Amino acid sequence: MAVGQRNGRPVNLWPGWYAMLTYVAMVAALWCIFVYAPTEKAQGIVQRIFYFHVSSALTMFVAFFVVFVASIIFLWKHADWWDHTAMSAAELGVLFCTLVLITGPIWGRPIWGVWWTWDPTLTLTLVLWLIYVAYLMLRADATDPRRARFAAILGIVGFIDVPLIRWSIEKWRNLHPEPVIVQSGGTTGLPPAMMLTFLVSLAAFLLLFVFLLRQRMAIARRRHELEVLRHKVDEALFG
Amino acid sequence: MKNFWYLFSAYTIIWTALWAYVVYLSQANRALKQDIEALQAQLDNVIAGNDASREGGV
Repeated sequence: MAVGQRNGRPVNLWPGWYAMLTYVAMVAALWCIFVYAPTEKAQGIVQRIFYFHVSSALTMFVAFFVVFVASIIFLWKHADWWDHTAMSAAELGVLFCTLVLITGPIWGRPIWGVWWTWDPTLTLTLVLWLIYVAYLMLRADATDPRRARFAAILGIVGFIDVPLIRWSIEKWRNLHPEPVIVQSGGTTGLPPAMMLTFLVSLAAFLLLFVFLLRQRMAIARRRHELEVLRHKVDEALFG
Repeated sequence: MKNFWYLFSAYTIIWTALWAYVVYLSQANRALKQDIEALQAQLDNVIAGNDASREGGV
Protein backbone atom coordinates (compact mmCIF):
# COMPACT_ATOMS: atom_id res chain seq x y z
CA MET A 1 0.00 0.00 0.00
CA ALA A 2 1.27 3.48 -0.86
CA VAL A 3 2.34 5.53 2.14
CA GLY A 4 2.99 9.26 2.09
CA GLN A 5 3.40 12.13 4.54
CA ARG A 6 0.99 14.83 5.58
CA ASN A 7 2.08 17.46 8.14
CA GLY A 8 5.08 15.26 8.90
CA ARG A 9 2.94 12.25 9.84
CA PRO A 10 2.80 9.07 7.76
CA VAL A 11 -0.64 8.45 6.21
CA ASN A 12 -2.02 5.72 3.99
CA LEU A 13 -2.76 7.13 0.57
CA TRP A 14 -5.24 4.40 -0.13
CA PRO A 15 -7.02 2.05 2.26
CA GLY A 16 -6.51 -1.66 1.70
CA TRP A 17 -10.21 -2.39 1.89
CA TYR A 18 -10.85 -0.43 -1.28
CA ALA A 19 -8.21 -2.40 -3.19
CA MET A 20 -9.80 -5.61 -1.86
CA LEU A 21 -13.27 -4.43 -2.91
CA THR A 22 -12.00 -3.72 -6.44
CA TYR A 23 -10.35 -7.13 -6.60
CA VAL A 24 -13.54 -8.91 -5.44
CA ALA A 25 -15.65 -6.94 -7.95
CA MET A 26 -13.28 -7.92 -10.79
CA VAL A 27 -13.39 -11.60 -9.81
CA ALA A 28 -17.21 -11.42 -9.58
CA ALA A 29 -17.36 -9.78 -13.03
CA LEU A 30 -15.21 -12.51 -14.57
CA TRP A 31 -17.33 -15.21 -12.91
CA CYS A 32 -20.52 -13.59 -14.26
CA ILE A 33 -19.04 -13.21 -17.77
CA PHE A 34 -17.66 -16.73 -18.18
CA VAL A 35 -19.98 -18.80 -15.95
CA TYR A 36 -23.26 -17.00 -15.17
CA ALA A 37 -24.14 -15.11 -18.38
CA PRO A 38 -25.83 -17.13 -21.13
CA THR A 39 -24.23 -17.43 -24.56
CA GLU A 40 -25.82 -15.13 -27.10
CA LYS A 41 -27.48 -17.16 -29.88
CA ALA A 42 -26.52 -15.12 -32.97
CA GLN A 43 -22.91 -14.17 -32.11
CA GLY A 44 -21.87 -17.07 -29.87
CA ILE A 45 -19.14 -16.78 -27.22
CA VAL A 46 -17.43 -13.80 -28.86
CA GLN A 47 -20.35 -11.63 -27.66
CA ARG A 48 -18.85 -11.94 -24.14
CA ILE A 49 -16.30 -9.30 -25.21
CA PHE A 50 -19.26 -6.88 -24.93
CA TYR A 51 -19.11 -6.80 -21.10
CA PHE A 52 -15.56 -5.42 -20.86
CA HIS A 53 -15.69 -3.50 -24.16
CA VAL A 54 -18.73 -1.41 -23.14
CA SER A 55 -17.55 -1.11 -19.51
CA SER A 56 -14.20 0.23 -20.80
CA ALA A 57 -16.05 2.69 -23.06
CA LEU A 58 -18.25 4.02 -20.23
CA THR A 59 -15.26 4.26 -17.87
CA MET A 60 -13.43 6.19 -20.61
CA PHE A 61 -16.35 8.64 -20.81
CA VAL A 62 -16.26 9.10 -17.01
CA ALA A 63 -12.47 9.70 -17.16
CA PHE A 64 -12.78 12.35 -19.85
CA PHE A 65 -15.66 13.97 -17.97
CA VAL A 66 -13.35 14.23 -14.94
CA VAL A 67 -10.73 15.87 -17.22
CA PHE A 68 -13.40 18.30 -18.48
CA VAL A 69 -14.59 19.34 -15.00
CA ALA A 70 -11.11 19.41 -13.40
CA SER A 71 -9.73 21.50 -16.29
CA ILE A 72 -12.50 24.09 -15.92
CA ILE A 73 -11.89 24.36 -12.17
CA PHE A 74 -8.10 24.51 -12.72
CA LEU A 75 -8.46 27.44 -15.15
CA TRP A 76 -10.74 29.14 -12.65
CA LYS A 77 -8.88 28.52 -9.37
CA HIS A 78 -5.30 27.76 -10.56
CA ALA A 79 -4.96 25.06 -7.89
CA ASP A 80 -2.41 22.30 -8.60
CA TRP A 81 -4.74 19.62 -7.20
CA TRP A 82 -7.18 20.10 -10.08
CA ASP A 83 -4.37 20.04 -12.61
CA HIS A 84 -3.11 16.75 -11.14
CA THR A 85 -6.67 15.36 -11.25
CA ALA A 86 -7.15 16.34 -14.91
CA MET A 87 -3.78 14.98 -16.02
CA SER A 88 -4.25 11.69 -14.14
CA ALA A 89 -7.80 11.20 -15.47
CA ALA A 90 -6.61 11.96 -19.02
CA GLU A 91 -3.97 9.23 -18.80
CA LEU A 92 -6.59 6.76 -17.54
CA GLY A 93 -9.05 7.87 -20.23
CA VAL A 94 -6.43 7.14 -22.89
CA LEU A 95 -5.77 3.73 -21.29
CA PHE A 96 -9.47 2.75 -21.37
CA CYS A 97 -9.93 4.28 -24.83
CA THR A 98 -7.03 2.12 -26.05
CA LEU A 99 -8.78 -0.96 -24.64
CA VAL A 100 -11.98 0.06 -26.46
CA LEU A 101 -10.09 0.54 -29.74
CA ILE A 102 -8.39 -2.86 -29.38
CA THR A 103 -11.31 -4.97 -28.16
CA GLY A 104 -13.76 -3.41 -30.66
CA PRO A 105 -11.95 -4.73 -33.78
CA ILE A 106 -11.33 -8.12 -32.10
CA TRP A 107 -15.09 -8.38 -31.53
CA GLY A 108 -15.94 -6.88 -34.94
CA ARG A 109 -13.72 -9.17 -37.04
CA PRO A 110 -15.78 -12.39 -36.63
CA ILE A 111 -19.11 -10.49 -36.67
CA TRP A 112 -18.59 -7.86 -39.41
CA GLY A 113 -15.84 -9.67 -41.34
CA VAL A 114 -13.43 -6.71 -41.07
CA TRP A 115 -11.01 -5.52 -38.39
CA TRP A 116 -11.73 -1.84 -38.94
CA THR A 117 -14.17 0.31 -40.88
CA TRP A 118 -14.45 4.09 -41.03
CA ASP A 119 -17.82 3.94 -39.30
CA PRO A 120 -18.65 7.35 -37.66
CA THR A 121 -18.60 5.88 -34.13
CA LEU A 122 -15.25 4.14 -34.62
CA THR A 123 -13.72 7.19 -36.33
CA LEU A 124 -14.92 9.58 -33.61
CA THR A 125 -13.53 7.24 -30.93
CA LEU A 126 -10.16 7.23 -32.71
CA VAL A 127 -10.29 11.04 -32.89
CA LEU A 128 -11.03 11.15 -29.14
CA TRP A 129 -8.00 8.94 -28.48
CA LEU A 130 -5.79 11.21 -30.63
CA ILE A 131 -7.04 14.37 -28.86
CA TYR A 132 -6.14 13.05 -25.42
CA VAL A 133 -2.83 11.54 -26.58
CA ALA A 134 -2.03 15.09 -27.78
CA TYR A 135 -3.11 16.35 -24.33
CA LEU A 136 -0.64 13.95 -22.65
CA MET A 137 2.14 14.96 -25.06
CA LEU A 138 1.46 18.59 -24.21
CA ARG A 139 1.72 17.69 -20.51
CA ALA A 140 5.00 15.78 -20.93
CA ASP A 141 6.84 18.78 -19.43
CA ALA A 142 4.86 19.12 -16.21
CA THR A 143 6.95 22.05 -14.90
CA ASP A 144 5.81 24.58 -17.52
CA PRO A 145 2.67 26.38 -16.22
CA ARG A 146 1.71 27.59 -19.74
CA ARG A 147 1.50 24.00 -20.94
CA ALA A 148 -0.85 23.19 -18.05
CA ARG A 149 -3.19 25.99 -19.16
CA PHE A 150 -3.08 25.01 -22.85
CA ALA A 151 -3.67 21.36 -21.91
CA ALA A 152 -6.65 22.36 -19.75
CA ILE A 153 -8.20 24.16 -22.75
CA LEU A 154 -7.57 21.09 -24.94
CA GLY A 155 -9.08 18.87 -22.21
CA ILE A 156 -12.25 20.99 -22.23
CA VAL A 157 -12.57 21.33 -26.03
CA GLY A 158 -11.73 17.65 -26.61
CA PHE A 159 -14.69 16.58 -24.48
CA ILE A 160 -17.05 17.82 -27.23
CA ASP A 161 -16.24 14.55 -29.03
CA VAL A 162 -17.84 12.45 -26.25
CA PRO A 163 -21.51 13.49 -26.84
CA LEU A 164 -20.79 13.21 -30.59
CA ILE A 165 -19.83 9.54 -30.11
CA ARG A 166 -23.01 8.92 -28.11
CA TRP A 167 -25.06 10.68 -30.78
CA SER A 168 -23.37 8.71 -33.60
CA ILE A 169 -24.29 5.41 -31.91
CA GLU A 170 -27.97 6.41 -31.95
CA LYS A 171 -28.44 8.53 -35.07
CA TRP A 172 -25.43 8.14 -37.39
CA ARG A 173 -25.12 4.40 -37.50
CA ASN A 174 -23.29 2.33 -40.07
CA LEU A 175 -21.81 -0.96 -38.81
CA HIS A 176 -21.63 -0.21 -35.09
CA PRO A 177 -24.68 -1.74 -33.34
CA GLU A 178 -27.46 0.44 -31.91
CA PRO A 179 -27.64 0.92 -28.12
CA VAL A 180 -28.82 -2.23 -26.33
CA ILE A 181 -28.39 -1.36 -22.66
CA VAL A 182 -30.84 1.56 -22.65
CA GLN A 183 -32.96 1.87 -25.78
CA SER A 184 -35.38 4.58 -26.85
CA GLY A 185 -38.40 4.59 -24.54
CA GLY A 186 -36.24 3.54 -21.57
CA THR A 187 -36.39 -0.18 -22.33
CA THR A 188 -33.39 -2.52 -22.49
CA GLY A 189 -32.41 -5.03 -25.16
CA LEU A 190 -30.54 -7.23 -22.66
CA PRO A 191 -32.04 -10.24 -20.87
CA PRO A 192 -31.83 -9.97 -17.02
CA ALA A 193 -28.79 -12.29 -16.64
CA MET A 194 -26.82 -10.34 -19.27
CA MET A 195 -27.88 -7.01 -17.74
CA LEU A 196 -26.72 -8.12 -14.27
CA THR A 197 -23.39 -9.30 -15.71
CA PHE A 198 -22.94 -5.99 -17.47
CA LEU A 199 -23.74 -4.00 -14.30
CA VAL A 200 -21.24 -6.04 -12.24
CA SER A 201 -18.57 -5.49 -14.93
CA LEU A 202 -19.29 -1.77 -15.07
CA ALA A 203 -19.11 -1.49 -11.26
CA ALA A 204 -15.77 -3.33 -11.27
CA PHE A 205 -14.36 -1.01 -13.94
CA LEU A 206 -15.54 2.13 -12.13
CA LEU A 207 -14.01 0.90 -8.86
CA LEU A 208 -10.78 0.18 -10.73
CA PHE A 209 -10.87 3.63 -12.31
CA VAL A 210 -11.13 5.38 -8.92
CA PHE A 211 -8.38 3.16 -7.51
CA LEU A 212 -6.02 3.90 -10.43
CA LEU A 213 -6.91 7.61 -10.38
CA ARG A 214 -5.87 7.92 -6.75
CA GLN A 215 -2.62 6.07 -7.43
CA ARG A 216 -1.87 8.22 -10.49
CA MET A 217 -2.66 11.41 -8.56
CA ALA A 218 -0.23 10.34 -5.83
CA ILE A 219 2.48 10.17 -8.52
CA ALA A 220 1.57 13.63 -9.86
CA ARG A 221 1.64 15.05 -6.33
CA ARG A 222 5.02 13.45 -5.59
CA ARG A 223 6.51 14.77 -8.85
CA HIS A 224 5.40 18.23 -7.80
CA GLU A 225 6.85 17.69 -4.32
CA LEU A 226 10.14 16.59 -5.91
CA GLU A 227 10.31 19.77 -8.00
CA VAL A 228 9.73 21.92 -4.90
CA LEU A 229 12.46 20.05 -3.00
CA ARG A 230 14.92 20.42 -5.91
CA HIS A 231 14.25 24.14 -5.90
CA LYS A 232 14.88 24.30 -2.13
CA VAL A 233 18.16 22.34 -2.46
CA ASP A 234 19.35 24.69 -5.24
CA GLU A 235 18.48 27.71 -3.09
CA ALA A 236 20.28 26.24 -0.05
CA LEU A 237 23.37 25.41 -2.12
CA PHE A 238 23.67 28.48 -4.32
CA GLY A 239 21.65 31.10 -2.41
CA MET B 1 -16.23 -23.06 -29.35
CA LYS B 2 -16.25 -21.04 -32.56
CA ASN B 3 -14.33 -17.75 -32.29
CA PHE B 4 -12.74 -18.79 -28.99
CA TRP B 5 -9.40 -17.19 -29.93
CA TYR B 6 -11.02 -13.79 -30.46
CA LEU B 7 -12.52 -13.94 -26.97
CA PHE B 8 -9.25 -15.21 -25.47
CA SER B 9 -7.20 -12.48 -27.23
CA ALA B 10 -9.52 -9.68 -26.11
CA TYR B 11 -9.44 -10.64 -22.41
CA THR B 12 -5.70 -11.40 -22.47
CA ILE B 13 -4.96 -7.95 -23.92
CA ILE B 14 -7.23 -6.21 -21.40
CA TRP B 15 -5.65 -7.95 -18.41
CA THR B 16 -2.09 -7.56 -19.68
CA ALA B 17 -2.62 -3.82 -20.28
CA LEU B 18 -4.25 -3.24 -16.89
CA TRP B 19 -1.60 -5.32 -15.08
CA ALA B 20 1.24 -3.49 -16.87
CA TYR B 21 -0.28 -0.14 -15.91
CA VAL B 22 -0.67 -1.11 -12.24
CA VAL B 23 2.99 -2.29 -12.17
CA TYR B 24 4.09 0.98 -13.84
CA LEU B 25 2.18 3.05 -11.24
CA SER B 26 3.58 1.01 -8.37
CA GLN B 27 7.20 1.30 -9.59
CA ALA B 28 6.88 5.02 -10.40
CA ASN B 29 5.41 5.67 -6.94
CA ARG B 30 8.24 3.75 -5.22
CA ALA B 31 10.96 5.47 -7.27
CA LEU B 32 9.52 8.92 -6.54
CA LYS B 33 9.27 8.17 -2.83
CA GLN B 34 12.97 7.18 -2.76
CA ASP B 35 13.96 10.31 -4.73
CA ILE B 36 12.03 12.54 -2.31
CA GLU B 37 13.64 10.87 0.72
CA ALA B 38 17.13 11.22 -0.80
CA LEU B 39 16.55 14.86 -1.71
CA GLN B 40 15.09 15.63 1.74
CA ALA B 41 18.18 14.10 3.37
CA GLN B 42 20.42 16.15 1.06
CA LEU B 43 18.50 19.31 1.95
CA ASP B 44 18.81 18.58 5.69
CA ASN B 45 22.59 18.08 5.26
CA VAL B 46 22.98 21.31 3.31
CA ILE B 47 20.97 23.28 5.89
CA ALA B 48 22.98 21.72 8.74
CA GLY B 49 26.24 22.53 6.91
CA ASN B 50 25.16 26.14 6.34
CA ASP B 51 24.22 26.52 10.03
CA ALA B 52 27.57 25.05 11.15
CA SER B 53 29.60 27.35 8.89
CA ARG B 54 27.55 30.34 10.10
CA GLU B 55 28.26 29.42 13.76
CA GLY B 56 31.97 28.87 12.95
CA GLY B 57 32.10 32.29 11.33
CA VAL B 58 30.72 33.89 14.52
